[in-house]
Amino acid sequence: MDQIIVSLMNGVIYGLLLFMVSAGLTLIFGMMGVLNFAHASFYMLGAYFAYTLQGVIGFWLALVVSPVLVGLVGVVVERFFLRRVHHHGHAHELLLTFGLSFIVAESIKLFFGNFPVDYRIPASLDVSAFSVGGAQYPLYRLLMGGIAIAMFVLIYLLLTHTRVGIVVRSAIYKPRMAEALGHNVPLVFMGVFGVGAALAGLAGAVAGAFYTTNPNMALELGVMVFVVVVVGGLGSLGGAMLASLLIGVVTSLAVAVDRSLADLFALFGAGDWATGVGGLMTLKVSSLSATIPFALMLLILLVRPSGLMGEKG
Amino acid sequence: MHQPKPLRLAIVPALALLCGIASAAPVKVGVLETLSGPQASSGQAYRAAVRYAIDQINAAGGWNGEPVQLLEYDNQGGPAGAADKLKAAAADGVQLIVQGASSAIGGQITEDVRKYNLRNPGKEMVYLNVGAEALELTGEKCNFHHFRFGGDPQVRTKALVGAMKQANALGTRVYAINQNYSWGQDMEKAIVDNAAAGGYQVVEKTLHDVNKVQDFAPYVAKIGASKADSVLTGNWSNDLLLLMKASKSAGLKARFGTVYLDQPGNLANAGDLAIGHFVVQTFNPEAGGAEGERFVNDYKAKTGHEPVFIEPQTVFGMAMVADALKRTKPENGALNVNAFAKALETTTIKTPMGEMSMRAADHQAQLPMVVSTVTKDARFKVDGTDMGFKPVKRFSAQEASTPAQASCAMKRPG
Amino acid sequence: MKTGLLLILAGVAALAALPFLLSQGLLNAAIQMLIAALFASAYNLLCGQAGMLSFGHAAYFGVGAFGTVHAMNAIGGAGLLPTPLMPLAGAACGLVFGAIAGWFATQRTGTYFAMITLAIAELVHSLAPHLKGLFGGEAGMSTMRMPAWGFDFGSTTQVYYLTLAWVLASVGLLYLFTRTPMGRLSYGLRENSHRLRFLGYNVHGLGMMVFAISAMFSGIAGGLQVVSNESANYVVFDPALSAAVVLNTYIGGVTMFLGPALGAALMTFFGYAVSDLTQSWLLYQGILFVGVMMFMPSGLTGLIGTTGRLRQRIGLSKLLPVVLLSIAAALLLSMGGTFAVELLQRVFSQDYRALARLDPGNPWPPVTLLSRAWSPASMATWAVPVVLIGAGAVLAWVGRRSLNQAVEQTVDQGAAT
Repeated sequence: MDQIIVSLMNGVIYGLLLFMVSAGLTLIFGMMGVLNFAHASFYMLGAYFAYTLQGVIGFWLALVVSPVLVGLVGVVVERFFLRRVHHHGHAHELLLTFGLSFIVAESIKLFFGNFPVDYRIPASLDVSAFSVGGAQYPLYRLLMGGIAIAMFVLIYLLLTHTRVGIVVRSAIYKPRMAEALGHNVPLVFMGVFGVGAALAGLAGAVAGAFYTTNPNMALELGVMVFVVVVVGGLGSLGGAMLASLLIGVVTSLAVAVDRSLADLFALFGAGDWATGVGGLMTLKVSSLSATIPFALMLLILLVRPSGLMGEKG
Repeated sequence: MHQPKPLRLAIVPALALLCGIASAAPVKVGVLETLSGPQASSGQAYRAAVRYAIDQINAAGGWNGEPVQLLEYDNQGGPAGAADKLKAAAADGVQLIVQGASSAIGGQITEDVRKYNLRNPGKEMVYLNVGAEALELTGEKCNFHHFRFGGDPQVRTKALVGAMKQANALGTRVYAINQNYSWGQDMEKAIVDNAAAGGYQVVEKTLHDVNKVQDFAPYVAKIGASKADSVLTGNWSNDLLLLMKASKSAGLKARFGTVYLDQPGNLANAGDLAIGHFVVQTFNPEAGGAEGERFVNDYKAKTGHEPVFIEPQTVFGMAMVADALKRTKPENGALNVNAFAKALETTTIKTPMGEMSMRAADHQAQLPMVVSTVTKDARFKVDGTDMGFKPVKRFSAQEASTPAQASCAMKRPG
Repeated sequence: MKTGLLLILAGVAALAALPFLLSQGLLNAAIQMLIAALFASAYNLLCGQAGMLSFGHAAYFGVGAFGTVHAMNAIGGAGLLPTPLMPLAGAACGLVFGAIAGWFATQRTGTYFAMITLAIAELVHSLAPHLKGLFGGEAGMSTMRMPAWGFDFGSTTQVYYLTLAWVLASVGLLYLFTRTPMGRLSYGLRENSHRLRFLGYNVHGLGMMVFAISAMFSGIAGGLQVVSNESANYVVFDPALSAAVVLNTYIGGVTMFLGPALGAALMTFFGYAVSDLTQSWLLYQGILFVGVMMFMPSGLTGLIGTTGRLRQRIGLSKLLPVVLLSIAAALLLSMGGTFAVELLQRVFSQDYRALARLDPGNPWPPVTLLSRAWSPASMATWAVPVVLIGAGAVLAWVGRRSLNQAVEQTVDQGAAT
């Protein structure tokens, strides 16, 4: 029982981390139709900026300044790169972001080296919050979850209860009309892109200390973020939250399940046959835990392509 | 710092060919490594060690009066790129291929070398494997023209278990967690095989996806629930680091026995949580005595950093190659690769860790091992931290050795 | 039309003569370039012609590769499927898997279609390491080319001619396909699929068939790679390969039929040649991608087309200086950029920093670049890339200005007459 509680909590926290990174991506995707392959690179940049700044201005200030820097990078990318290729179509924007992700990853390797860097949680935070079933639960995990939830609430309130939010939402839904009404839609695009990048940077700054900070961070998280955005629905913040939690919990709980399809067949007496067939039948769910999100993504795309909470269209 | 320029070196063999057959043909060594992309860190470490070793060979006079030439090829991170660059190396006249960073690429190279040698008798190549440790390379895929200078899962586990048992860190309940590919599966089998000798019971075995898992907390929860005394793992890079970080956060009391804890960056990243864990290494400067210190200082002077991780075993392996080269007489001014291979089979050298020799049955080097623990009172600090690896138990090559696999049916040239 | 045919014949003759002109190592690179060209042409059938951007095309390449390796191991190169016909196994596997995947994928359009193809490819990529019987674990599956039809297929030259024959035949078939009614209809899919539906065509079925045919030729390319490398590994399902084929296609240009083939050949050669020269070649590749997307959006063949049209508009005498200025600017910018990147890479490397720490009296030891020693502390070292990049930027600006002036002059002349 304790196991399940711990797994659930871990899954929720991992899901909240995924949400922090994918929130920006889903907003950008929904608004500009840009599949931003470089979004996970913003996550990585956030971690590296925080690592560099930590020695200079301390951990908490680094957590604040690093997302701002990444947001600036995002603004520059949108203004000087994406805007130029916007009229050539989605393929070009996408390939541009793909090239940018290469550039960011290789530049980081150039300046910081190929090995993981020493970005760690400060000792004051490296304590356990409480113990569950004989194991400790670290405080920093709760902090990560808290930051993610605070971020979600803040952005949700911003989008629904402020003027800026209304303008952004209308720019997502009907950009031409918003422009015709006199709003500076390109500025809105730039702002949303920057904020999206800043969110990913914050996620990187927070998570990089807990997990490892290495030049392959973007690759590790990259595809999972897309799965979250697709499953949740393009452009829907609530969908991104739901999808991240779902994927986080499923991945976490799957690790504890050491059964396979053959065991299912054994319930009906065909266990030996299934084991004999081998292949997919004898794969344990626990070793497939990283594959399940893709199966989920395929299922959603076939059954309900607009995602769990996206608009029908 | 000496950095040979591949382009310039590529022109030299072309000129050498033009100079006629009668003059001596220098030996060409090609290092075919992952020099770019996500796994570039290990490949570049291998390359640095090979450069150092070749410089040493040339400082001692080279071979047949000519310096040994080193050419570098980037396999672009995958077996397909390795196959391409191997063909390019063959076209450049390379006779000795050195690689170590990945068992997948090692598997590709050994097969490609075998097929090339079959099709081009008289122009054979030799694959010097300085680090790819999958068992099958000296098992089903064993091949007269492949020599392994690193360890393998059986040797590593035997040493690790022996030392941890002596240090009373093993306990009776052991948890085996490994990556789900050939290396990890071989490690799991070795951990199970050593249960009787180690006096423990493997309470649970887990295989997880390679380099995909970010959050090891669920696995740590499983380990905690199984009440294991110690955890034995062959994980490397992120998989090891994240596993240890997760176990520290959860307050897991089990002791870790690892193979790759000495990878650069691991101790700096792990911090104090690494203290008390074990790692089986092929070289530890504290265990190497005066010879070891001399080696470390010389390496540092020439390359800028101390030899860590896989660099020492590469240097020692290449020292065996140097010894075999010395004992191989030139034929028509060039190196007869089969004669070189036969000489390498009977090579024995002294390293700072002890005697190292080659086993002719499966071409697995018999090398000494040392098991160390992470502590603050080690003599040589690592990664700029205040911690280092202190040797716990040394194993001579004979003590560390495990028998050759029955699946190896080596076909020898006539 | 005549000149086009002559050019093609000349190209084929040049390709056939390559084994006599190139070393074995470069010949092997040529084989890889041909395979990449075929893969990109097959991809362009789906992407450029039918307008469906697929993100997981490496899956069909990989399925074809594994199908061929299993066939080679099972049949052994004699009897039913001699070695030269082995890629047919790859074609069959690609066709079947492509038909199944295509049926699912073509139910949606646009971004959703792309996401479905990505999901399918990632699913295969995730499952492949676990299905050892099919995909051979992480050392992959290995095989050997057996002699057939009097050849032993041991030398690179023979493999080259086999690959060349297959690639020429496949590209020819792809071209002929664009001339068939169904090929024409696939253009309709790109332009206006609603209209096609109203005209009574089964758009879903059509999309599925085009997908399957594209997957079939991708499978042939995968099979050819297996015949050349004699092994297949599940890393072929990596998303990087899917992304590479999309990039190659767009760099070559989707508007012309041979554009993607050209782009793929160039980028493969770039990777092959530059990866041995410098550690930062991936950075250069990324810069190249971004540069092409921003400044040459219609690809290389598009650039050739644009230059041709400009020549008609402003005449050769005005065009030539612009072209020369652009080439000079590009050269200077790349030289300056490369110099800066290589310098930075050496200065920031671990070994350099360790060496610098060793000797506190000399905090900036010199680095070696282009066989010379440069001191990072001196202004002269940094002045080199700055000057090169500055000169390149100036030339680019001058070239652009003269181009604009030339165009305005022709407009004025046209208005005056």
